[in-house]
Amino acid sequence: MSSHPYSDVGFFGFFFQLLLRLWGLLTGNIGVVDLATDEVQIIVLVCVAASSALVGSFLVLKKMTMLANSLSHTILLGLVVAFLITQNVGTHSLNINVLLIAALIMGLVTAFLTDFFCKVAKLQEDASTGIVFTSLFALGIVLVTMLTRNVHLSTEVVMGNVDALHLEDCQLVLIVLAFNIIVTTLFFKEFKITTFDPSLSKALGISVICFNYLMMIQVSATVVGAFRAVGVLMVLAFMTGPVLTARMLTHDLKRMILLAIAFGCSAAIIGVALSRHLLTYHGLALSTAGLVVCTIALQFIFVLILNLQSGLLRKRHSITTQEATFSLERL
Amino acid sequence: MDFFGFFTDPVLRGPTIGSMLMCLVAALVGVIVFLRKQSLIGEALSHAAYPGVILGVIVAGIFSIDESNDLTIASMIMFGAFVSSLAGLWSINYLQKKWRIRSDSALCFVLSTFFGIGLTLASQVQISYTSLFRKLPAYLFGQAATMNDIHIYIYVVLALIVVFTIILMFKELQTLTFNPDFAESIGISSRYINGIFCILTVLAIVIGIRSVGVLLLSAMLIAPAAAARQFSHRLPVLFFLAGFFGIISGYFGNYLSITLSHHATAEYPNSKMIIPSGPMIILVATLICIFALLFAPERGLIMRFMRASYFRFNCLSENILKSLWRLDREHAATIKTIYSSQHISVIYLRFILYTLKRNGWIQTVNGSYQLTNDGKKRAAKIVRLHRLWEVYLAEYLGVGSERVHRNAEEMEHILTPEIERELTVLLKDPKWDPHHQRIPQKEAYEYV
Repeated sequence: MSSHPYSDVGFFGFFFQLLLRLWGLLTGNIGVVDLATDEVQIIVLVCVAASSALVGSFLVLKKMTMLANSLSHTILLGLVVAFLITQNVGTHSLNINVLLIAALIMGLVTAFLTDFFCKVAKLQEDASTGIVFTSLFALGIVLVTMLTRNVHLSTEVVMGNVDALHLEDCQLVLIVLAFNIIVTTLFFKEFKITTFDPSLSKALGISVICFNYLMMIQVSATVVGAFRAVGVLMVLAFMTGPVLTARMLTHDLKRMILLAIAFGCSAAIIGVALSRHLLTYHGLALSTAGLVVCTIALQFIFVLILNLQSGLLRKRHSITTQEATFSLERL
Repeated sequence: MDFFGFFTDPVLRGPTIGSMLMCLVAALVGVIVFLRKQSLIGEALSHAAYPGVILGVIVAGIFSIDESNDLTIASMIMFGAFVSSLAGLWSINYLQKKWRIRSDSALCFVLSTFFGIGLTLASQVQISYTSLFRKLPAYLFGQAATMNDIHIYIYVVLALIVVFTIILMFKELQTLTFNPDFAESIGISSRYINGIFCILTVLAIVIGIRSVGVLLLSAMLIAPAAAARQFSHRLPVLFFLAGFFGIISGYFGNYLSITLSHHATAEYPNSKMIIPSGPMIILVATLICIFALLFAPERGLIMRFMRASYFRFNCLSENILKSLWRLDREHAATIKTIYSSQHISVIYLRFILYTLKRNGWIQTVNGSYQLTNDGKKRAAKIVRLHRLWEVYLAEYLGVGSERVHRNAEEMEHILTPEIERELTVLLKDPKWDPHHQRIPQKEAYEYV
């Protein structure tokens, strides 16, 4: 890679350049290894956004977003344990399989502990959720600090670091995305039924609990895929933001999911472009992941205002028609 | 360093007293948060405080306030956190009320978005005000160690405000928390009180972010309250206990953080390892909470389990006495005969027989078991209760006589002497039960 392809183009030039490079990639002029850091970031963030939107749609509809919140916190502990195990085995890089298994186990442990405190120890549900994930998270932070003798590492896991992404990181997010797409398309009908009509699903013999656990596995896989890029906390914005935005525009489930994915992916690309633009022209090196989250928030606010206005218009319209009919009747 | 050293040492007393005050305030406010089942709001609000913290730092940087001017910087940061936390609260309410977004997704969205905005701002601080940026991780995970006397003054004032507000509003808060409709009817304005309470919550969070950090603060609200709830159901006691647990976790969390950091630096002199105080405080608070969940005298898991197993044990021994009484009152029964009538393991059966023998209810004759006189009386009493209850069910509740046995089998262990007396009077001291078996009489507890 001789010179950085995006270093001197403006905000809109970025997209043009991106399309050019994409064309080059498709025609084979640019090899996979030649991908610029920005493109790697885009690939990772788009994959994360798409996975999150897929999982997030059902989470929001099932009112289970707080589960994602607690999972995203507890996964830190899983990562630490995975780190410990791989170090003892001798390999120093974190294996993808180990990461995924750690995430899975952590997800199960979190769900089990929350359930245990709630049902057996008779603690109210919100409190048991709150206590379990925060204490596991605290344990994770203490362990990370003690093991690596560095407090910044835990900060990095919490916040993510898009600039440190490599081509190898694409592998993990692609696997996660593929897993999420396969699961969602395979069990779309089941997810739909368990979400909207749990009693019908029980009558049909589809276990709600079973699919909730499946969803939990998806969430933990997504968080693990995302933690390097955006950190364990901001992935929540990826999961809820685009979905809430899409929900304002449509009530059709399939359309909503597709819209959410579109919003998430576009926010990811815009975020990367924005970050590059700010760096080139204003010398501001802002966190790319943070900018993506800001873009998601802006999208939401934009749609909100749009809705607000159309809602007001509709209201005014209905009032004027009412007045008109009223005066007509009086005549 | 001994216990009091942490209060007198000029370097250590800042962190120690500071974290204790913070935890006290968080725990007190947390009681109401816990009782209202709003634990997750604390989570959202504490994360929403993060951009405010950064904004405070940026403003401090813009006015190029010297790093040593701790008071100004700290108050700026706290003011920023206060404002952005309130903004978070407002957005959550707005999304819920105006757009009918469910509370969990609204919370989650606001929490993560505010955090993301905070991070973006933080990356700006990193470049522009590098020296101030080093202060930031302290607000993420809590770093009590760098607090000094100035912080204590601020926290004392804020803590006093919170405590006095709670004392002043105690009655209103109590009524509103437990019975909102009643509160409304006697003219307590829920809007007004809720507003003040929200400000209190935000204040507690603002105080807490320095030693516990925005990421973990919600646990500091809940854990002491949840632990206190195990011991009492009276609100004043709850406040006292929660405050006490809060202070304890503040002290020991800070203590552990400092001593562990000392050990670490002694062992690895090259690494500047500081164990953040936030996780330590939370771990201590959670341990207290788990201990309370397990061992609290009335609601604790272990105590409940022990009470349940004691009750089961009692039932079993009474059943064995009863079966011995029914098998043959005068002659001994072998363990095999007893075993055939009970659904328990042989070892447990032997244990029960052993305790029965020790209590003098039964005796062994040639390796088989026989009731003593005391045992006979006790067994007769149980049978009497059983059959009285059967009569009651059949005559007064109209239950068919073929269905009364199972229920009486349970009730015989529960009926108290007072109820027995009442039943005897009510049923006019019956002689026969619905199955035409003789009811042992109270005076003799035996057939003639």
